[in-house]
Amino acid sequence: MEHQLSESGGAIVIAFSGDIDLQTSPDARKALLGLVGKGQPILVDLSGVGYIDSSGVASLVECLQSVKKSGQKLALVSVSEGALRVLQLARLDKVFTICTTIDEGVEKVG
Amino acid sequence: MSSLDLAGGAQLGVAPENVHSHLELLADMGRDFATSLDLEATLTRAVERITDYVDAEAGALFMLSDCGELLKCDACIGPVEITGLEIAADQGIVGFCVKNDAGRIVRDVSKDPDFNAAVDDETGFKTKSILCAPMSVKGERIGAIELINKRGGDGLFDDDDLHLLQALAVSAGLAVLNARMAAELVEQERVKRELELAAEIQRSLLPEEKESDFPVKGVNLPARVVSGDFYDFYPLDDGRVAFTLGDVSGKGMNAALMMAKTASLLRCLGKAIKEPGRLLTLVNEEVAETATRGMFVTLVHGVYDPESGYVRLANAGHEPPLVLSRDGEFTAIEAEAPPLGISPALLDEDGFPETEFNLNGGRLFVFTDGVTEGYVDDGVELGIEGLKDMMTASSRGNVQALLNEVREKIGGEGRILRDDVTLIAIDDGAQSHTAATGAGAAEPGATDAPGEKVFQLRVTAKANRLRLIRNAVRETAAFCGFSETDTGDIVLAVDEACQNVIRHAYGHEGEGDISIEFRHRPDAMILLIRDFADPVDISKIKPRDLDDLRPGGLGTHLIGEVMDEVDFLPPPIDGGNLLRLVKKIGD
Repeated sequence: MEHQLSESGGAIVIAFSGDIDLQTSPDARKALLGLVGKGQPILVDLSGVGYIDSSGVASLVECLQSVKKSGQKLALVSVSEGALRVLQLARLDKVFTICTTIDEGVEKVG
Repeated sequence: MSSLDLAGGAQLGVAPENVHSHLELLADMGRDFATSLDLEATLTRAVERITDYVDAEAGALFMLSDCGELLKCDACIGPVEITGLEIAADQGIVGFCVKNDAGRIVRDVSKDPDFNAAVDDETGFKTKSILCAPMSVKGERIGAIELINKRGGDGLFDDDDLHLLQALAVSAGLAVLNARMAAELVEQERVKRELELAAEIQRSLLPEEKESDFPVKGVNLPARVVSGDFYDFYPLDDGRVAFTLGDVSGKGMNAALMMAKTASLLRCLGKAIKEPGRLLTLVNEEVAETATRGMFVTLVHGVYDPESGYVRLANAGHEPPLVLSRDGEFTAIEAEAPPLGISPALLDEDGFPETEFNLNGGRLFVFTDGVTEGYVDDGVELGIEGLKDMMTASSRGNVQALLNEVREKIGGEGRILRDDVTLIAIDDGAQSHTAATGAGAAEPGATDAPGEKVFQLRVTAKANRLRLIRNAVRETAAFCGFSETDTGDIVLAVDEACQNVIRHAYGHEGEGDISIEFRHRPDAMILLIRDFADPVDISKIKPRDLDDLRPGGLGTHLIGEVMDEVDFLPPPIDGGNLLRLVKKIGD
């Protein structure tokens, strides 16, 4: 698993690629929590994530909670079919703001 | 001469008019000795009376020390107090009398080479004449009574005085001996009482009587009051039963204390550590660290599953336990490791090896050599064959009958035990799994999941193997004809189950293996996921509450969401956990 950071319309975009599983979720969690407290909205691009498990989902949830506490906003964008399925199974698809594109994300949380 | 025929006093040169009063004095003192509880006071009183009666200036009673090298003044009457004075056992007139077991009259000490003037020099007393008689009973030297300086008459002791003193000394000697024996008895009683208290505590370490259908039963007969043997059994929280039987080297109090320690350690740790080999490794470290040099414990510890009939045990240098199968065959389970108390450095890295087998309705007997070496009729040892005969003869009845027979034959009325006798029996035949099926328990892995075995994978339980597992599952699910979504769901479920194994069953990465078996039925795919960790408490595994966003429990929820059936099967024969997932095809 890898991640890349960029900016778009004032929001930080963090794009993950590869599998987020028990082995890689600690890195994903660290990268996500590193963005908390910077004041900018966060867009998590999951288009390149073919597989995410409960530990990866848990990292996203933890980040969302921290972001809300610091007054920031967070959205998931371009969620792959596999990742969306897991979020739906976990009934977390209503907890996260999920957008199809980065532009839509900037519009919603920017 | 050390004894007197008192009735024949005249023969001994006693003037007839004195015989009566002599006898009266002796009778008085004899009574005093017989009835008094305070020996020292009685002896002092006796010396006082005889000194007075013979009309001597001073009198003293000397006792020979336990080692026989010293004479100590225990009682003394006269102008000089010498109680507590110690002289060498061969010194002076007293020493002479004790050594030769003979009485003596010394009319003028200045002319006697045996006289020791040192005491006079020190005390300023002037000894002129001495009368001394030894206290001895049947040749056992106890001490002597000495009288100094006759007052009246010509100032000299005569034979009459000596005879009287000798008679008194004999009865004083007897009194001392009796008192010593009484003291020894009191001490013996005290030790016996303490031993009985220790035995009571030991008995309390043995398991309580269980209901009559409890599959494990035991008997322990100590050869002495306390025992170096022990046995124990207790139910585990997963429905299995842990059992232990041990034999500490030696039979005395030290063995009993070592037994208490080992038994307590095993009972306490055995409830948490359910793998016998690992448990013994741990207990051995503790015992080896603190055991008295040269003491060791041979021991068998195991876990029996009444549901399946499986036994998993470790044998630390103990007499081989015997399995008696339903068709009457015996198998001995040999020890593959040394006794407990041996330096852990001498053990293999893997610790104590385990043996696993299924009783299949048979019986398992674990016993100490006190059973096989126990005497039955005419001093003949029971022997292993004799024991097997008893086991075979009782195999159709309640196993308690065998225990009673061992108790009766080896430790019954009038029998003297050579060694502690201990035996436990596990009766798998009384369990319902055999009664219901009439045959042995199911073979491992043969769950109610038939179908064709498509693929099996066994990898180390590590996070970096999960990707490998997912790929294998994905390919196998596709091979079985699942849709893309279903395949993804199955991959997720297996991944989550394996994560639970790594994180919860093993607790750490790389602690053991995960095995995944794929079975294909026309209507479904069955996945058997097993680990080799301690059985987990299934009741604690629950899907998370969906309103709760905290991590954890989510994996179990996901498994439940995507699979049609999720069951933990009973723990496999050699421990660990077995999870069965079923996904129906074409849902």
